[in-house]
Amino acid sequence: MSMKLESTKSWQQWELYRAVTPRNILIFLVLFVLLSISAHNTQIDKAAIETSKAVFSAVGIGESDVLDGALRFGSKAFPIQISERTAISRLSDFDRNDLPWFAYIEVGEDKEYDALTNTWTVEKTEFLVEPLGYLKKVTLKMLETIEMGFWGTVISIMISLPLGILASQNYTPHRAVYTFSRGWLSFHRAMPELIIALFLVLMYGFGPIAGVLALAIHTSGVLGKFFADEIENAPPGPQLALGSSGAGRLKVLRYAVFPHVFPAWIAYVQYIFERNIRTATVLGIVGAGGIGMELKGRWDLFDYDHVATILLVIFLTVILLEVFSQKLRKRAI
Amino acid sequence: MLHFNSVTRVFDDGTKAVDNVSLNIEAGEFCVLLGPSGAGKSTLMNMVNGVVEPSSGSVRLGDLQLNKKNLTKIQRRIGMIHQQLHLIPRLSVLHNVLAGLLPDAGFFRSLIKSFSTDTQRRAFQLLDEVGLEEKHLCRRASALSGGQQQRVAIARAFISSPEVVLADEPVASLDPAMSRSVLESLKTAAKHHGATVICTLHQLEYALEFADRIVALRAGEIFFDGSPRDMNESIQSQLYELAKPQPSSVEVKQVAA
Repeated sequence: MSMKLESTKSWQQWELYRAVTPRNILIFLVLFVLLSISAHNTQIDKAAIETSKAVFSAVGIGESDVLDGALRFGSKAFPIQISERTAISRLSDFDRNDLPWFAYIEVGEDKEYDALTNTWTVEKTEFLVEPLGYLKKVTLKMLETIEMGFWGTVISIMISLPLGILASQNYTPHRAVYTFSRGWLSFHRAMPELIIALFLVLMYGFGPIAGVLALAIHTSGVLGKFFADEIENAPPGPQLALGSSGAGRLKVLRYAVFPHVFPAWIAYVQYIFERNIRTATVLGIVGAGGIGMELKGRWDLFDYDHVATILLVIFLTVILLEVFSQKLRKRAI
Repeated sequence: MLHFNSVTRVFDDGTKAVDNVSLNIEAGEFCVLLGPSGAGKSTLMNMVNGVVEPSSGSVRLGDLQLNKKNLTKIQRRIGMIHQQLHLIPRLSVLHNVLAGLLPDAGFFRSLIKSFSTDTQRRAFQLLDEVGLEEKHLCRRASALSGGQQQRVAIARAFISSPEVVLADEPVASLDPAMSRSVLESLKTAAKHHGATVICTLHQLEYALEFADRIVALRAGEIFFDGSPRDMNESIQSQLYELAKPQPSSVEVKQVAA
């Protein structure tokens, strides 16, 4: 009886829920138009058409530029190039009696084009062939890339640790310092590595130094924010206990906060290290050292067999890195 | 030694946690603040090391008035055992104890956790006194049992040779046998180092057993102040009655009739 008093409508008159309404249809149409425009701008339509063309072409129907491009790369990329072949005449300190390991001398034809007479002159030349020479070179380059990632991480920690402490609300010496440090970290975070590397190559010249600093600058922004947030979220109890016994703030930070946040920090640093190595492989494209420089050089010379070797080494390194860090993570810190 | 001069603490929501309490605690006393939950025991105690600021009145330790300028000086003369212990879970037992010395430790030495042989020996001695063996020294505090953690907290409170040790419900979460042994350790350590102890408890039996002096609080006011011997049956039952909710006393009368 009391129900009747509360509502004047009987349930037969209650309003039905409708999924499809003019308003919903309008929203859907507007979204569709906007997304279509955006997709056209980003060539999503072309991607769909070209990809389906490639798929059809692969089974023998029609022709496709995409597939041709892939085949052009593929046919030149395999077999991959792992040996190094150098004309002996170009080697400065060559000793016929003291060849590098596994190396041998091959006699071949060295063609030279004379543009004035439009003729080819063929000369018999000796080549020094190192069967694993190129692989060795790429591996050394990869090692340099890993070292770049390592030092990028180390410098990043050196920047982000003090900044992170200054940027944590509970340990910053002053509100202004807090705002400044947070802003600085955001600034570091906001600049992509490739762009920083472009500038640093201008300043420091070609080589790993630009890459290392670019990695350090960008990732210190990320790490610093992590550090600051972790310090802010540390449990207050032990801090109160040490603080109320008269210990200074830095000592409280060292004893009541650091031990607590340490495992999380290690996890962050590990992630950043991994990421830095992956990023370091592409930084060379702008001349900032590492394997990317070799990759870019070979790519521009259309030496796709060399490129394939580089890609393989990068691929293997990333996988090994993943396995290694998984194992490391399983060991409880 | 420790003087509360008509201190009052009113919280933001208007509750008077401590209401015009004056108290003198003599040097070397084992003084128990007794009372039901919410009686103002912890608030009164936390006024001593500046965690809670009195709304009015003043606190004096020896000849030092508690104020902003003297706060650190006073804090260094006080050891504190918190109700939730507040040990540092991932730090070893030894370093948890040595953390009590941080105010006096050299800055750079303390940063790399380097402590002199003498201070380490002192920590060993204290840990031995409260009944922890050498094998626990390098274990993390989080790996210890509740009673062991409590002992580490006691050792930490005593390592800086404090004049006053504040213990906030040191046995709240322990079983009776463990509670007795922890209070025993606390009392022995206090006597051995000549420290004044202020200890809050809500269990009457432990207060009667261990206290030199009992200060019973009720609703922020002192309800009883004297030695355990003076705490006769009627006062005890009154304290119990006050602690109990009213309806239960009615039920008891009915059963008796």
